Amino acid sequence: MAAMACALWASSASAQTLEPPPASPTAREVAERVENNFRGESGFLDATMIVKSPRLPEPRRMRFQSWDDRGGKRSFVRVLEPAKDKGTAFLKLHPNLWSYIPRVERTIRIPPSMMLQSWMGSDFTNDDLVRESSTLDDYTHRWLGVDPSHQGSRAFVIEHVPKEGAPVVWGRIAVWVDAARLVPVRQEFFDEAGEKLRVMTLSDLRAVGSRVYPHRWSMTPLDKPGHETRIEVNEIRFGEKFADDIFTQRNLTRRD
Amino acid sequence: MILRLAWRNIGRNKRRTGLTVAAAVFAVVLVVHMIALTTGVHEGMIETNVRMHAGHLQVTGAGYLEDRTLERFARWTPALARAIDGAPGVAAAAPRVNGFALLSNGPASQGVALLGVDPAREGAVSVWPERVVRGEFLGGGEREIVLGERVAEALRVDVGDELLVFTVAYTLENAYEMFRVRGVLRAPDPTLDRSLALISLADAQALLVYEERVSEIALLARDAARLAETRAAVASAVTTVSAEALDVNPWQRVMPELEQMLVIDDAQNYSMLGILVLVVTFGLLNTILMSVLERQRELGVMLALGLQPRALFRLVYVESLLLSGVGLAVGLALAIPGAAIMEQNPIPLTGEVAQMTAQFGVDPIITWKLEAWNPLAATALMIGIALLSALYPAAKAASARPVDALRSL
Repeated sequence: MAAMACALWASSASAQTLEPPPASPTAREVAERVENNFRGESGFLDATMIVKSPRLPEPRRMRFQSWDDRGGKRSFVRVLEPAKDKGTAFLKLHPNLWSYIPRVERTIRIPPSMMLQSWMGSDFTNDDLVRESSTLDDYTHRWLGVDPSHQGSRAFVIEHVPKEGAPVVWGRIAVWVDAARLVPVRQEFFDEAGEKLRVMTLSDLRAVGSRVYPHRWSMTPLDKPGHETRIEVNEIRFGEKFADDIFTQRNLTRRD
Repeated sequence: MILRLAWRNIGRNKRRTGLTVAAAVFAVVLVVHMIALTTGVHEGMIETNVRMHAGHLQVTGAGYLEDRTLERFARWTPALARAIDGAPGVAAAAPRVNGFALLSNGPASQGVALLGVDPAREGAVSVWPERVVRGEFLGGGEREIVLGERVAEALRVDVGDELLVFTVAYTLENAYEMFRVRGVLRAPDPTLDRSLALISLADAQALLVYEERVSEIALLARDAARLAETRAAVASAVTTVSAEALDVNPWQRVMPELEQMLVIDDAQNYSMLGILVLVVTFGLLNTILMSVLERQRELGVMLALGLQPRALFRLVYVESLLLSGVGLAVGLALAIPGAAIMEQNPIPLTGEVAQMTAQFGVDPIITWKLEAWNPLAATALMIGIALLSALYPAAKAASARPVDALRSL
């Protein structure tokens, strides 16, 4: 009983110890600065995903590369490792999401109803992979307060509430933003009933050019004890101009 | 003596007696048929749903009903199969894997509930094999799939076509395989029709890397009326052979919405019945009270001649019982054969009503079911009505004072 009370207290501790927000900047301004820093017009990512689950004797590792063209509302993902999944690729061309499976040489369209399903067996969803909602356009922002020492640093806590009709599957998202570097370091996802469903922590902040970028993302679903998916960034580049032929069906089925 | 007197008394006003008896007959016939109809319809709904998919009992991994994920499983080992098949009261058992998959054919794709079933066992428990409208149900072949009619429509495939089954395995890897459509089935429930695909248990276990695990084992009981016994027998049989903790769930837990619906329906029907009983009670009370008031003078004379008030009370009571008794006898004589005939000749529904019942997963047919307790309940009700309705008139008769009674005229 005492242990339970303790756990309950710990889970709500962050909310309890928040300090009142400053008069300036506004929540919206914080979100704008984060967006400018965190998400470029386009980005290339090479990362390793590590899936932990009680089902697996040891964590499963998978390496992938992604080309994200925010401006063109299109993105492309290709799996490199393990050998079994090599060549599996995803192409998002608004509003469709396609996936190519090399072993059976088939391209499938992933319907909107599948967007909340697991991506490659991980705790990330298809929606996470190719999210097309925009932090600035699709949400309203509200101060929750200032966390004086979130993992040792000051963090702004901003609530994101989706606007009516926005392509968002969450009721709201609470985002902890590193106050000095303006990088999100923690996101708590709530459903429409207000229940917290999952927590993503972003750590290992490193400089990439003029920005600071978290190189380790960890997703924990709260309804599945023992599950955790981590993405470790091997390489990330911003601001490149991508060739149009990356985002094509032909590229999807390409085999190296 | 009192019996003869009472019999003659109720013979004195034939029209009133006739009407009262008719009311009793009507009440009995209505009660018997209402109960028979409710029982029949409910049993039909239960049987349809049990045979449609759920089974009378389901053996699952502990907690599966609350958390329907691949993590909750039973191991379908030969030992478990033997234990379940051999448990007393079990008529048939069918193991199943319940998964979720994306089916894809060219640009068309559809998310479905993917069921892995044992083709050799499934038909003994559920009606899926009989529901096939084109092609055939699963046989011994590998990588064959049977689709709900609307799934096939959405994917633009038919018997013989190939499609891709795409899912996430128990090992959290992407799992995909080409399957050939072997049959198309029509589920009575449109939502199921739109979201159902069946493959063989072996294929499902291979695709999901699930080894000998299954999500549920659906059982059909020999005698649905003795489900609790069968459940206990199965529970004790499986605990000895399963390393994992298992649940044995009755259909009421598997389909709580059906159970709730039946309870609500029962409540409605029995409230109606209660109102009916009340109306008949007051009707009878009215008749008997009238007959007592009409006979004030006569009753006064009887008291004056030395008859005990208690005897008068009894007289009125016997009159009431006779009236209801005749009504009950005639009512049962009419109702029981009537209900029995209806039980043999259920009424098929057509048109819109049929479509509506289909949405509830029920065959469009109205069935009567006459169980032994039904006429007994009607008898008990009628006797209760008679006893209740005579109480006030009898007391009134017994408390009459001879002088007042004579003077009141």
